[in-house]
Amino acid sequence: MDRKRTALTVAAAGTAAGVAGLVLIASPAGADETPPVLPPVSAEALVQSVIQADVPALAGAVELRNDIGLPIPGLPQATGDNVARVYTDGNGRGRISLKQGSGERTFVQDGTTTWLWNSANRSVTKFTGGEDKDGKDTADKLSDPATAAREVVELIKKDSTVAVDGTARVADRPVYQLVLTPKPTERTLLREVRVSIDSQTRVPLRLEVLANGQSEPALRIGFTEFSTGAQDPALFTFTPPAGVKVTEGAAKDKGAKADQESLFKSANLKIVGEGWDTVATGQVPAALLSAQIPQSGERAAADVTSLLKRLGKEVNGPFGTGYVISTKVGTALVTTDGRVAVGAVPQQVLIDALGQK
Amino acid sequence: MSTLVVRRAPITRVLRSELRMVLRRPRTLIGLGLLALVPVLMGIGIAIATANGEEGGAEGLAALVIGNGMLLPIFALSIAMAMLLPLTGAMLAADALAGESAHGTLRGMLMAPVGRGRLLAVKAFGVASVTLIAVLLMALTGIISGVLLLGGDGMLTASGTSLPFLDALGRVLITALYVTLQVWALAAVALAVSAFTEHPLIVVVVSLGLVIVSGVLAAIPALDWLDPVLVTTSWDAVSEVVRDPIEWGPLVEGGLRALCYLVIGGSIAYSRMLTRDG
Repeated sequence: MDRKRTALTVAAAGTAAGVAGLVLIASPAGADETPPVLPPVSAEALVQSVIQADVPALAGAVELRNDIGLPIPGLPQATGDNVARVYTDGNGRGRISLKQGSGERTFVQDGTTTWLWNSANRSVTKFTGGEDKDGKDTADKLSDPATAAREVVELIKKDSTVAVDGTARVADRPVYQLVLTPKPTERTLLREVRVSIDSQTRVPLRLEVLANGQSEPALRIGFTEFSTGAQDPALFTFTPPAGVKVTEGAAKDKGAKADQESLFKSANLKIVGEGWDTVATGQVPAALLSAQIPQSGERAAADVTSLLKRLGKEVNGPFGTGYVISTKVGTALVTTDGRVAVGAVPQQVLIDALGQK
Repeated sequence: MSTLVVRRAPITRVLRSELRMVLRRPRTLIGLGLLALVPVLMGIGIAIATANGEEGGAEGLAALVIGNGMLLPIFALSIAMAMLLPLTGAMLAADALAGESAHGTLRGMLMAPVGRGRLLAVKAFGVASVTLIAVLLMALTGIISGVLLLGGDGMLTASGTSLPFLDALGRVLITALYVTLQVWALAAVALAVSAFTEHPLIVVVVSLGLVIVSGVLAAIPALDWLDPVLVTTSWDAVSEVVRDPIEWGPLVEGGLRALCYLVIGGSIAYSRMLTRDG
């Protein structure tokens, strides 16, 4: 019957169009684009231009893809296209919004004051000045970009090969890809580090860390949207909302710094090796290993050792007994007497580093 | 009249009578009334909790809504988005075709010299407009109870900025439209199921099953690649509305996803209506 055929055609066409639409929404734009043609540039010149470049007024969205296998403390746990938005006016004022579920952490630097807003507990922390000093030191060092670039490249070249590996598109902008590969003598889990540098503004747009035996980057952080141009000045001001407690961050920070220093001293932190197979070794107080970690929800509190047992693999060696936690980009070894070694290296290098003590 | 002239009833009259018929059903009215109560109850609950000083433990939007009345309609809509509003959409779609079929009234309409497409359009209009009414009603009671119970002038956004009242009203309106569009998408699928069966319950079960199964699939990390085609994927994006500046990307993507589901559901429903006999 004719009507039946019409009906089938309508159903098939509509469903096909709808499904095609759904798939199209999902696929990133410009994934299969041919790389743009850019004038060739040497690695030194590229690094120099990055150091020389001033960050222009820009707005962007940042993606974070973390395929390491363990959450990284300090980074937002969420992995996705859109974990943060960044704005800057190019003159030192800026705004970063970090998404936390449906909440948000916002950092606003309005030129004199840094505001930190956390929507989860509706708190505002205020930092006034103080942080400029560090910035100036670096600025002095970088005042001669040509020398700085040469130094940086030479330092990197000691242990790695640096090359400009063609071009690509990141956030719909043509980029140069600067690739750092460890020299064959380096004992590391990493295969290469790839930095995408915007051909126009020379701002690094994306950083990818690739581990051995992985085709997809273990860690990728970069812009998904990037546009230069003047930004709304209202973005760079922050007025604490009414009824919200504002805490001064500066005084607290000093205490924290002293705490950190004493922690570092007791940790007996040492760096073994250099380049890609650098290993950091240290000592954690034995008390920490039996400390109870409060667990959220119904689960009973667990002590650190049992947590290590669960996360890691037990190993024996000249160092005694320990637990090895391996991820795609790094390994950590914690011995039962509290010694710790961490590096982007295989397990054996950690054991050697502990033996050097 | 000496000659028989087939005159179509003006479309506005047909639409108005359909709307009146849907709105006259007791279950529709009860449903609308209960939905309108949701923001009020939430407002009372939050006001009592705040008075008792239980501020800790809240996360996301819930942490922001205390003393922030204009956020209550957005919070209530995002909560109702999880189950109550999809249920309403599915119920309306179930009544529209399967319900009529169960009463035997659909056969009469199919026999009448009325285009099948026109019939489906009128039924879909009924579902769509009552969904819109439900969402707007929730937004309205949310605004009123939010301002009265929780107070606060304007709206405190998740980014820590304060919006004046009119801007906040705009945000509530955007939320209402976005939520409506998402419920329409699910209702379109429900309408397609409704065109196939004469048991309204099946429609509701299938639609809610779709929502629940989508939620389960989205929670399995190994099935991440499925996320873009799930009907529920963009429902969370409603929280973008409370950021400042508002981020349109996820909202636009969610809107497009809903449109795709509208096309799929609509075309399958239409195809079934063409061949249906009663």
